[in-house]
Amino acid sequence: MKIMKIVGVSLKSILKHKLRTALIELAILVGIATLTVVVSLTQGANKLIMKRIQNFGPDAIMVHSGGGKMRGPSTAQQANLTKKDISDIENISGVKFATPFQVELDMPLKYDNQFTTSWVMGVEPDWRDAWRRGASKGAFISNSDNEQLSRVCVIGVTTAKELFGKADPIGESILVKNISFKVIGILEKRGQSPAGTDFDNLILIPFSTASRRLMNQPLYTSMLRVIISDPARAKHVAGKISGILRENHRLASTQEDDFRISTAEQIAKMIKSTSKTLGLFLWLIAVISPLVGGIVLMNIMLMAVSERKREIGLRRALGAKKRDIIFQFLTESVVLTFSGGGLGVGVGVIIAIFVRHLGKPISISWQPFATAFVISVLIGLFFGVYPAKKAANLDPVDALNQ
Amino acid sequence: MIELKNITKSFQNGTIKTDVLKDVTFGVQRGEFVAIMGSSGNGKTTLMNILGCMLKMSGGSYALDGVDIETLDDDQLSDLRNKKIGFVFQSFNLLDGTSALDNVLLPLVYAEEYPDDARERATQLLESVGLGDRIHYKPGELSGGQHQRVAIARALVNDPAIILADEPTGNLDSESVREIMDILKRLHKQGKTIILITHDINIARYAGRTVFLRDGKIYNEEVSK
Ligand SMILES: Nc1ncnc2c1ncn2[C@@H]1O[C@H](COP(=O)(O)OP(=O)(O)OP(=O)(O)O)[C@@H](O)[C@H]1O
Ligand SMILES: [Mg+2]
Repeated sequence: MKIMKIVGVSLKSILKHKLRTALIELAILVGIATLTVVVSLTQGANKLIMKRIQNFGPDAIMVHSGGGKMRGPSTAQQANLTKKDISDIENISGVKFATPFQVELDMPLKYDNQFTTSWVMGVEPDWRDAWRRGASKGAFISNSDNEQLSRVCVIGVTTAKELFGKADPIGESILVKNISFKVIGILEKRGQSPAGTDFDNLILIPFSTASRRLMNQPLYTSMLRVIISDPARAKHVAGKISGILRENHRLASTQEDDFRISTAEQIAKMIKSTSKTLGLFLWLIAVISPLVGGIVLMNIMLMAVSERKREIGLRRALGAKKRDIIFQFLTESVVLTFSGGGLGVGVGVIIAIFVRHLGKPISISWQPFATAFVISVLIGLFFGVYPAKKAANLDPVDALNQ
Repeated sequence: MIELKNITKSFQNGTIKTDVLKDVTFGVQRGEFVAIMGSSGNGKTTLMNILGCMLKMSGGSYALDGVDIETLDDDQLSDLRNKKIGFVFQSFNLLDGTSALDNVLLPLVYAEEYPDDARERATQLLESVGLGDRIHYKPGELSGGQHQRVAIARALVNDPAIILADEPTGNLDSESVREIMDILKRLHKQGKTIILITHDINIARYAGRTVFLRDGKIYNEEVSK
């Protein structure tokens, strides 16, 4: 087939003009490698954000006692959310339920002669639905546990291992701050957060037991997890919750909130804003770099065309049509950018892996490859058309007499 | 087979206009061997480029095989060059770094169909011009006369009806000249139409008929054999 013959001509010419080939491929390589690294970085960042949102729960709103900008769980001493607050919030349309919980960090635990510390969380049965995390073995905290102020607990796998080793903890009793709790279940495993927090080093006890026996806050809770039916309306519902709490807490309009409300969207925004300016800068480089490669390609191809006028004139004399010449030079450009792009992806991935070892979130998936190949072919076509047309439009007689 | 009537050609370079061909009228029969003679710079190559459908004339009409060239577009002219005309240039015009065989195959790249026996055909042609043992040599490894013989094989690979040779021996020594002219004579015997451009009367003698290009016009004159 004629097309294959001309492709053959192009390939031969690429192999023949080694310096030219090397220069073009280097230019495209740099461009595509940059693009690959930036795409990987961006995807890594996006993945991290998605993971944070997933961890937080896209359909969740968290309410913390205590205002200001501080982060992390509120302490029992700050607790200022009442039963009325909870039921008012549950009455907001779009809210499925709100579940209160309290946390004491680093509580001393003892079993037999084993000691450890872990988070102790007072929770209601709803906690399981709010966090989508129940007992992988045994039972979860029940309503009657809460009503009876039972001294029972569900234990995380890390804590279990610390206290019991390989033995089965269920049915055993442990001491939490010298109060004895019976282990009724093992909590589903969650692993570590990117920041290194171990989500499996905790125990759950009934909310009421925690309030009255451990934390001494019988009327209040310090934290609420609100689950809504439509994640898209999180912001709206958060606004309503804020209004209700300000009213219930009788805050004057000049006073600041004595609570904090966070949504998945806010968390995402917070992460994004820190990486935004850097991201924009990177993208600018990522876009400019392949374009520079394209301009280099165009220049070198233009030089090649004027160097090879005689060849072009000869081909025309022997029967090559304009479109055959265009096809020949365009094929050269695209093969050069495509192979340069292939090398560029390789180098880009190596750099990306290196950057990942430096601790940056990097995601290497098929997208950088697809992007690089599409972009490099487009560059070959876009920046190759002009030299190719120039070659085809040479006057055959003039070209031959060069 | 070739019918030229009142061909004119002028070049416009800025404000300077050069009238190169003023009134060229002549015909070539199928199977003829015609030499076009003229001194240097009087438009022989220009005429040859017009005959080869590489250059548009300024006026007049040119019919090739009964087809008016003016009615063809660029693609059709390319096809016509590919199928009907074999070019032999004074400066050979072989592709550097490309074997004799691939040089001969070049016109077939642009043929409508690439023949299955292309390589055998090209090898045979190279054998017929005495280069059977050098088909893989590159131009840098061949002498001037050998260059031109490769070029002749190339001109023949598409089996064109007409061979256009513009001073094919202009750059060759006398030994090579005889070889090339013998090949052309043989091709003529095999039925090819040959148009040979030269300024050398001794070369022109190989042709069956010689016309003179002078002052932009064609004169038919007898040449003593
Ligand atoms: N593209 C062009 N633009 C302007 N003038 C041209 C062009 N091509 C040829 N000429 C002029 O036309 C005239 C004839 O040129 P041509 O090459 O046809 O001569 P020739 O007979 O082949 O000469 P030679 O024997 O040296 O090969 C010359 O005077 C040349 O300067
Ligand atoms: Mg000439």
